[in-house]
Amino acid sequence: MSTRWYPIYQRGNPQLRVFLPNFWMKLVRPHPKQLPNIVHFHCSMEMTKYDIKNYLEKIYEVPVVDVRTKINMGKFKKDVVKGYVIKEDDVKVAFVTLPKTMTFKYPDLFEKSINEEEEHAKSLDESKKNFRKYIDHNKSRPDIPSWFSI
Amino acid sequence: MHIIKLHRSLLKIKNAIPRYSTITALEESEYTETPEYPPILDMTREGKLLRRRQSFQSKIQELNTIEEKQIALNMPRYYGWQCIMLNNDKVPYNAMPLVQYYTRSHFIPVAKLPEAYNEIEQQASNILQEIKSQIEDAIAIELTDVERNFKFLQDKSIKMQQEDTITKCVVRQINRIIMNNLSDNLPHILSTQIDYDARHEAFWHIGGVDPPTTTVKWRKENKWPKSTHYESTDRPVQYIGSPILTLRNRHPLKPLIPYSEAENPAFKVDKFTTIPGSVGYFREFRHGTNIPGFWPGDIDEFGLLSYHGRGHILDRKTSFGEQDNIEALHCQAMKASFGWLLAQANYQGFTTFNDLTYPLVTQTVITNGKLWSLYAYQLNTIVMHNDTVDSNPKHNICFGTKPLQLYETIENGKVLGLNEDVLKMLLQFYMNAPAERDHAMKPYLGKDEKVVADIEDDNRRCWLEERYKYLVSNRPKHSLIPEVYLWEKIYKIQHNTRFFEAKRRPFERGINPFNRRLDDHISPYIPKVLREYPRSKKKFEATYYPQV
Repeated sequence: MSTRWYPIYQRGNPQLRVFLPNFWMKLVRPHPKQLPNIVHFHCSMEMTKYDIKNYLEKIYEVPVVDVRTKINMGKFKKDVVKGYVIKEDDVKVAFVTLPKTMTFKYPDLFEKSINEEEEHAKSLDESKKNFRKYIDHNKSRPDIPSWFSI
Repeated sequence: MHIIKLHRSLLKIKNAIPRYSTITALEESEYTETPEYPPILDMTREGKLLRRRQSFQSKIQELNTIEEKQIALNMPRYYGWQCIMLNNDKVPYNAMPLVQYYTRSHFIPVAKLPEAYNEIEQQASNILQEIKSQIEDAIAIELTDVERNFKFLQDKSIKMQQEDTITKCVVRQINRIIMNNLSDNLPHILSTQIDYDARHEAFWHIGGVDPPTTTVKWRKENKWPKSTHYESTDRPVQYIGSPILTLRNRHPLKPLIPYSEAENPAFKVDKFTTIPGSVGYFREFRHGTNIPGFWPGDIDEFGLLSYHGRGHILDRKTSFGEQDNIEALHCQAMKASFGWLLAQANYQGFTTFNDLTYPLVTQTVITNGKLWSLYAYQLNTIVMHNDTVDSNPKHNICFGTKPLQLYETIENGKVLGLNEDVLKMLLQFYMNAPAERDHAMKPYLGKDEKVVADIEDDNRRCWLEERYKYLVSNRPKHSLIPEVYLWEKIYKIQHNTRFFEAKRRPFERGINPFNRRLDDHISPYIPKVLREYPRSKKKFEATYYPQV
């Protein structure tokens, strides 16, 4: 559950309770052409395949068939301030295979906000169009107030 | 000046004089009644590349000998193809859709053998009664009364090796008993060759599969049009199998289903485009090899039956489940049958680019002594590279049983509850007699030169033989494959901080080192002492690569 060393259990010891474990898992979007029963996670570097399997099965009750892990090297980039090349941290990626009959689709988190943005843009365009029409209508009499119309 | 003018006027006079004999000859040969135009070629980029591929494939078809064709298949890659490795003894989870698509085989689960075996059934049940007791004794002895001293290898699990070793002994005994008892009645049994621990390898190209993620990334960086990012290309596949025992004969088995049925749309296989790494099949750099257990030139070139062990099932995780274990056996059988048949087809002159013109059949048995699965496979087509994967109407067919128990238990050295149906099916496999075919068996091989051994020129023959055997052995090379070191990737490619250094590496000069062809090397130098007398200028030894 965690990489810290806890005392070995001897008969009569109380139940071991693990507080603030340093095992974490983060669900990420798989690449677009992945099989539907494979889920991608980023996880703590110290986790093994057995750890990942137990984490998902015991805490989230997800039936796991197989786990494959890979360590992705962090990207190299130029430091903005100094200009030399620096490296981002490495990430351990876990490819978890669910039973064939189960599928998992990564949820679309920003669907609503895209719609809202589109609506905002539409209403802005409409009001711009109306303003241009109003100016066009009153081109020949710029000094007369707006409520004064035929 | 005047001399030039004079010369010119002389030429004009010479050309003006009609030369009657040549004009009549031209009229007869060059002019026809209707105009014959040359074919209009597709000059788009895709059209030109397709024509280049097709000319390569037709050049392979025109080569005479089997070995030259195999060398030609490997010609485009000096360092070997990055092949998707399909092994016999490892099947990942949910591999059935991938294996079916990569071998283009439609799987038909059956409880009994297909109809082609009905005629031999009666005879088989007669012979069964005679053989039953001998087989029971053999199984009992092998499984209980033999003191074994195992020597386990490090690379495979102990459980798997133990089961496979015992299976090997049982299978050899059963094969000996059946063949000895059948050789009186059936003539084809005596002429059948037995191979123990044969080497089966098969190589083909599969199309319609998604390109690897590195390729997609490269295409995006090099600004290919968006529609072409996920365009599929030929992916080389290599199968390596290790059967326990194989039988082969001079003539091929009779087809299970008529050849015309191969185009039946009911046998269509679903497309599986996901990269094989997702399922669990990974890639390796090696030369593509097609070996059906014997070298070219052997008379017994058609397979009858092959036995395989199923120790790898013990190694699979329990979380995979029973249903997936049964499917893993089906996958193993399809890979083994297709691989062996493809290698046999390559020895008849067909390749992954030149399609079969007749069907080939083989029988596969996967067993561990107690559980037996029997499969009959008909190969109708071997062409499934990118240009033909969608347009090829033919498919291969595999009939397979579930694992069947041969006996219940063994007590006191006696086998209890022997399942006679399983033995009868096995006997039917042996009794399925091969028959000579009417049509041409090797249409794409030369008339006189079918094998390198037929070539008369000594130098060419010896060179080709040596080159073929070395290529196909896939021994680890002394020189390493080209590599971009991590420091070069960071400081020369991604962030060029070493711009002042001389550009000597291939990636700095725009060369892709993996496009090196097989014949792209200098040949060995002949020292002056060893050259032909007198004063031969031939500095380098001659190479006899096929011209593709």
